[in-house]
Amino acid sequence: MYCEVNEKERAGVINPIFTCQPCGAQYASIGIKECIGIVHGGQGCVMFVRLLFSQHFKESFEIASSSVHEDGAIFGALNRVEEAVDVLLMRYPDVKVIPIISTCSTEVIGDDIDGVVIKMNETLLPEKYPGREVHLIPIHTPSFVGSMVSGYDVAVKDFVSYFAKKSEPSEKINLITGWVNPGDVTAIKHLLAEMDVEANVLFEIETFDAPLMPSGNHVAHGETTVEDLVDTANAQGTIALNRYEGGSTAKYLQDEFDIPMIIGPTPIGIRNTDTFLKNLSEMTGKPIPESLVRERGIAIDAITDVAHMFLADKKVAIYGNPDLVIGLAQFCLDMEMKPVLLLLGDDNPNYKDDPRIQEFEKNIDYKMEIITNADLWELENRIKNDGLEVDLILGHSKGRFTAMDMNIPMVRVGFPVYDRAGMYRYPVLGYAGAMWLAETIANTWFVDMEYKKNRETILNVW
Amino acid sequence: MPYHLFKCSESIPEREKHAVIKGEGEDLTSALPLGYLNTIPGSISERGCAYCGAKHVIGTPMKDVIHMSHGPVGCTYDTWQTKRYISDNDNFQLKYTYATDMKEQHIVFGAEKLLKKNILEAFAAFPEMKRMTLYQTCASALIGDDINAIAEEVMEELPDVDIFVCNSPGFGGPSQSGGHHKINIAWINQKVGTVEPEITSDYVINYVGEYNIQGDQEVMQDFFKRMGIQILSTFTGNGSYDDLRGMHRAQLNVLECARSAEYICNELRVRYGIPRLDIDGFGHEAMASSLRKVGMFFGIEDRAEAIIAEESARWKPELDWYKARLTDKKVCLWPGGSKLWHWANVIHEEMGVNVVSVYTKFGHQQDMEKGVSRCEVGALAIDDPNELEGMEAIETLEPDIIFTGKRPGEVAKKVRVPYLNAHAYHNGPYKGWEGWVRFARDIYNGIYSPIHKLSLLDISKDEIRTDVGFETQRLLSDVNLSDEIKNSTTLREYTGKYDCIKDLRDKTYPEYLTKKVSEAV
Amino acid sequence: MDELTKDRVEQLIDYIMKKCLWQFHSRTWDRERQNENILGMTTQLLCDETVTAESIEDKCYWVDAVCLADAYKERYTWLADLEKPEIKSLMQDVKNRLDHLTITGSLNEELNDPLY
Repeated sequence: MYCEVNEKERAGVINPIFTCQPCGAQYASIGIKECIGIVHGGQGCVMFVRLLFSQHFKESFEIASSSVHEDGAIFGALNRVEEAVDVLLMRYPDVKVIPIISTCSTEVIGDDIDGVVIKMNETLLPEKYPGREVHLIPIHTPSFVGSMVSGYDVAVKDFVSYFAKKSEPSEKINLITGWVNPGDVTAIKHLLAEMDVEANVLFEIETFDAPLMPSGNHVAHGETTVEDLVDTANAQGTIALNRYEGGSTAKYLQDEFDIPMIIGPTPIGIRNTDTFLKNLSEMTGKPIPESLVRERGIAIDAITDVAHMFLADKKVAIYGNPDLVIGLAQFCLDMEMKPVLLLLGDDNPNYKDDPRIQEFEKNIDYKMEIITNADLWELENRIKNDGLEVDLILGHSKGRFTAMDMNIPMVRVGFPVYDRAGMYRYPVLGYAGAMWLAETIANTWFVDMEYKKNRETILNVW
Repeated sequence: MPYHLFKCSESIPEREKHAVIKGEGEDLTSALPLGYLNTIPGSISERGCAYCGAKHVIGTPMKDVIHMSHGPVGCTYDTWQTKRYISDNDNFQLKYTYATDMKEQHIVFGAEKLLKKNILEAFAAFPEMKRMTLYQTCASALIGDDINAIAEEVMEELPDVDIFVCNSPGFGGPSQSGGHHKINIAWINQKVGTVEPEITSDYVINYVGEYNIQGDQEVMQDFFKRMGIQILSTFTGNGSYDDLRGMHRAQLNVLECARSAEYICNELRVRYGIPRLDIDGFGHEAMASSLRKVGMFFGIEDRAEAIIAEESARWKPELDWYKARLTDKKVCLWPGGSKLWHWANVIHEEMGVNVVSVYTKFGHQQDMEKGVSRCEVGALAIDDPNELEGMEAIETLEPDIIFTGKRPGEVAKKVRVPYLNAHAYHNGPYKGWEGWVRFARDIYNGIYSPIHKLSLLDISKDEIRTDVGFETQRLLSDVNLSDEIKNSTTLREYTGKYDCIKDLRDKTYPEYLTKKVSEAV
Repeated sequence: MDELTKDRVEQLIDYIMKKCLWQFHSRTWDRERQNENILGMTTQLLCDETVTAESIEDKCYWVDAVCLADAYKERYTWLADLEKPEIKSLMQDVKNRLDHLTITGSLNEELNDPLY
């Protein structure tokens, strides 16, 4: 066996790959229209997450805090939640959806956010806001469990299970994207349109790439509505692109409303996109059209230009959200590259059951290591002290210093990317994403060849 | 009372006393907002937490330290690579961050063993690092882990390491300021006086409340070195852990950001008799008077005057070039704390801009006393502003540019107001004579951006000029400028380098003999 | 106080408020000490009296006083026409006013916190 799956041996984290659960819940919340979340905890749990989103998207998103201070931490802070809901409703007349997102502090002190939601539904809402549509949704995301990835998964499921309501069957399918960029949603919606499939996309976040309008009144926000969420119960099927970000929602809809589901594989690369289209076709009965055959052809043409000449045998280290890492590794293999190190940044015990990981274990014919509960020191230490050779790093911006100090070219991918411009606009999903990835990897490698004077002349006649 | 209640905050009338408009003839006995009070939940305030105030603002700029947070991973991740405090040891403190990664079982059974394991692992991973700071978080505070005891235990086992413990959980106080306070007091209680520093000059200072944002500390250090002054320690930007243990041997504390670091100066005065001299490192006049004071304190004002003359001659013509083009522009000075008073007056006098509003996210009334005093009449001062109030203020004040944080800057962008990063700067450093010109240059480039001008145009309605292929900052800024200024041969645009810090690191300085040595000779 | 004196006091106060930081130390007792010593020395300097600043504490007051006195002389040329008793009286008014603004009339609720 050449591929090993190991858990990081150290207890601690040096340079984390993920932040904690509440961030994931907050990311889900900003995808919903007329929704402002309240994070129940200290103010930093919101302030820094908003900063992180603004670093990545170069946009500002509205999320509130219950601002738990010392007295709340000692005596309980549910009164802060009640006040926060009231203040938010008074000052934001359009707000309908308010998730109450817990954190480590408020979980440790045992604040009963479910109870306070019931209380507010019985008193505050009918008494002070009669007739106003308000949805208060408790979301438990203690920071000492899982990671931002599981936090996102939990929140998507909590939103859907709160709203989903069976009525008339719909022609639509539910398409749960997982933690992706606006460019990915555009790419997926394009595939859906070409397939003539109507989908309820969770979440509609193309608008995160918001314009600067002459009216000066535009704010970036997600576009998924309450109605969309309600309607998830009526779909003819659910496809969750990611196993770990939205997979549990697909399962919930199947268990609760008998909606057939397909989870993954994340459509990164040609092969996974083929699978996605095949699944889509089977679920809806719609054929894969000629236009996509052509689009696929353009992507394959482009990838052929770079793959076996430049990318073959290049050793890659990949870190980030698990579905992204796994999908990228699969695609790299198809492009003849050699992923040698995959870092999955949390302790999710289900990784070993992931069929994609099992396939790596079964069929990889060189030394590949998959580290769970990993941090970025697992990468840097191997390169710096253990002699691991890596030609390319794929990952988000938090690893930028490792790449720079180890002098290894790096393609920014995933979340967050704040040290390259506009990366949220480009997809990694679909044929468009495959082409963009291949060409970006190649171009990054070319620049590195030139700066290091490493056979840079071969580009003369390419 | 000149309080100002925003329309958007009429439903939370307690906000009224958090904003004032300083009217004609009004002074601090009437025009001072409330400050540093608990935040109104759900108001979408911009405040952070006491953990970040301690760790991110003050702790982490210390450069030769393993900065470890005891808690779940998020606090660590979130306060990593979100500021621009550099250091001359290849930015160790920026690059590496450590979390003990507390999980559910630790919440239930305690995480002291986990903490100890973490400490040992980190020292093993970075054998050259012998200093560590441990930061408590909400979670480790609430489960009651005895971090101090573990630190003591490790220090006994590993005699060559030293560990500082900062117990400042996120919920401790209305804002990050609570953490500034806690870490100041913790440092003097635990660490000051535990190392006897080598004194190499007759003139010895601590430089306090300076975080080396984009190299500010190194700019100021250059001036002090040119004067032959020994900087025993910098609290904390580019500062060294062991140097900071020797703070008690300075003759003077030169204090820059009083908001975050006056506590330790006050305690050093009480406990060790070291006086506190507050200075401004921003602005040419302020720089001159700051160096002059420090020089006079030591009786070496001639050295200060030489620097002042040289730097002024070099950079004043460039500052004035920008001043001529920025005069009467309206700015909102919306930083976190100290910059509202560091900048309020000097930016008006030296760049000609009008500060129409100041705010502080996390400051105290003391910051507003300084800020309101330094503003001109009519300025709107806001304590703990929230999202809607900021928008309302922008609509009514119509500023030409806003100095604020990264995320609120994105809000400003959408309403077509350029912003500069007031915390981390755009192209700093902003301290010193040259830095101040860099700030002016950034403001100028923000305001006179051709793209910004295009952003105001609605192509579906407005007239579109088709005879113009491009515009430049200069074309935009010089439209109404007098020929005398336009054609001035003395004024000039910024001529410094992209990176003005690199050269400082290789610089050699004049050697001044100490009295003891020169008497021996 | 007559209008002229009032106007002059305001000019001198305005300079302190816009340019100085020493009047805004954290607590009442600090502010009393700062105002007293720095303005006291400034008055002496403006009256051409010798100021002895031997201790480092006094030196620290003194540097702020020298800068203030120099700035006053440069900006407020009318000071040169005043007799020394007039200066002393005026500076006493300045101190009273500053004490009022920063201590006795201050709205700063943290001034009397017993700890730093």
